[in-house]
Amino acid sequence: MVRAMKVLVVDDETAICQALSAWLSKEGYHVETASSGPEALAYQADHHFDLYLLDIKMPGMDGLEVLAKVMEEQPDATVIMITAHGSIQTAVEAMKRGAVEYLCKPFDPDELSLLMERVAANKALREENEALREQLLERQETLLDGFVAQSSAMHHILSTIEEVAPTPSPILITGETGVGKDLVARAIHMRSEQANGPFVAINCGAQSETLLESELFGHEKGAFTGAVRARRGRLEMANSGTLFLDEIGEISPKMQINLLRVLEEKKFQRVGGNQYIDTHFRLISATHRDLMELIKEDQFREDFFYRINVFSIDIPPLRERVEDIPVLADYFAGCFAAETGKPVEGLTQKALQILCEYHWPGNVRELRNVIERVVVISRGRMIGADELCFLQERADDCHFGAMTLKEMEIRHIEATLEACGGNITRAAKQLGIDRVTLSRKMKRYALSKA
Amino acid sequence: MVETDAIQHQHAFLDLIPLGHVDPLVLSIVGANLQAVLDLPTDITVPRPDPAYAYLPSRHQYDAVKILKNLTVEESGAPLKLAITAQDLCIPILTYVYGESQLGGRAAVVSINRLSHHRSREKTFVRIAKICIHEMGHIFGLEHCWESSCLMRFSKQLEQLDQLPLHFCSACEYEIARQRKRLLERICPPPVSE
Repeated sequence: MVRAMKVLVVDDETAICQALSAWLSKEGYHVETASSGPEALAYQADHHFDLYLLDIKMPGMDGLEVLAKVMEEQPDATVIMITAHGSIQTAVEAMKRGAVEYLCKPFDPDELSLLMERVAANKALREENEALREQLLERQETLLDGFVAQSSAMHHILSTIEEVAPTPSPILITGETGVGKDLVARAIHMRSEQANGPFVAINCGAQSETLLESELFGHEKGAFTGAVRARRGRLEMANSGTLFLDEIGEISPKMQINLLRVLEEKKFQRVGGNQYIDTHFRLISATHRDLMELIKEDQFREDFFYRINVFSIDIPPLRERVEDIPVLADYFAGCFAAETGKPVEGLTQKALQILCEYHWPGNVRELRNVIERVVVISRGRMIGADELCFLQERADDCHFGAMTLKEMEIRHIEATLEACGGNITRAAKQLGIDRVTLSRKMKRYALSKA
Repeated sequence: MVETDAIQHQHAFLDLIPLGHVDPLVLSIVGANLQAVLDLPTDITVPRPDPAYAYLPSRHQYDAVKILKNLTVEESGAPLKLAITAQDLCIPILTYVYGESQLGGRAAVVSINRLSHHRSREKTFVRIAKICIHEMGHIFGLEHCWESSCLMRFSKQLEQLDQLPLHFCSACEYEIARQRKRLLERICPPPVSE
């Protein structure tokens, strides 16, 4: 949706204000007028304008002063200076200070029309560029997390994505860390009606509540210590696109209320601001936590949960879709081989078997890191089982960690007895308990000396 | 007077007012086109003198905004006013205008000064008719349209004006019809049933 540009005309001559306002209104712009610098700045405090048309010669505060203050408050403002023939030098000075153009009055209608077209095109390009740059950066970060799947579970998820993507409904993605929740969010965005808009992601768990509030809502200059200039928030940047709130289970109930209000009213105020900013975005949230459990613990609002969870997609952990491991491993190996220039062609069957047997607590992210590591150190064309021996150690560690206390005790007693050649006295001493206690434990767990 | 459905409505909707000398043929053609394209019952009034009150000696032009203000305060005649002049028009901010109108208002003024085609008189007439209908579109509340085949598109140059058709796009046409109906209801309110 293309929004009409909002223009503020500042000129002490009423006739000029009226003429420009009438002309620009016919062009479809939303126009306000101010007859002095202070009046313009007062307007600016309450409204956001895309373009300022500033007369240079005004009694009291002149155009250059107004320009400086406008740029200070709104560094991305587009300002065109209006000047009489006599003050072209001042107009040039204004351009050095941030104005994009100047017009000598009276000007030709086609000159004004062309200039307005150029400003509108530049503004659209700048916004598109900003959104694209952000998307590109995010895509580069996860470039290797391509959708590669063999399992029926992931195929089911892909078909769900196709179904829900074109709807405007909020979606909640759940799954363990590293399963690719952000990739699913991105896939939904790319297939949605907002695909041409920005995909704005934020990790809610990675920042303090105050910082998160400022990141989401943006802030006005002076809203808090360090807010030296006004800043757009993610809610504003996501307009006409998708807002992806990762780790939504980490946000505070207070922030949940604030976000709930934005979702219902589709407008918000910047931190320290007093004007409402409209925003229309598609919301996708993700979490690795059990939100129902958090609701029971009063840490998550039920109304907010139902607002963000119109559709839900649960991504199973990698260990529950072992079929995906070989194709993902091959895919990552190919990507990293190309990136590093290594002649790696793939993995041996035995290596793939080791990968399939590992339980992948870090899911796809861990698999990707493992493949990156082995590709970097590999010397041959095929990655073999030897190169994955470190995985066995990890498995042992993790296996040990997954045991109950009782299982661990049994295993430790067995290992100590074995190391002591079945000598109960020595084993007891090594274990730090007396002989009778060890004998009782061996009897209870039906352990033999050997 | 251009024969219109004025019999049906009993009133003209628009006064077409020559300011200074304007070729009667131009007035007839404009009136006929306003009738054909906008279905607007139109009266061509007696010529008035050049608007001296709007003359700007420093620019040797006439201020279109002043003319509009003058037309707006007139209470007699049709509810809408369209003045045509052979003088060159400008507004404070622009070096010249072909026409000027009040968006959603009741008055417009068009200058034929810069519209003449050096070869074809017929093309000149078409240009004048287009500008007049375009300005009337603004009176009906229409902004400039982005459709390349709509008379409400802004023309930077006369060549662009020549490319435009002598009609509106469907969206603008719909809006014109809606506004025209409202105007009609305002001028000729339906009888109140007892």
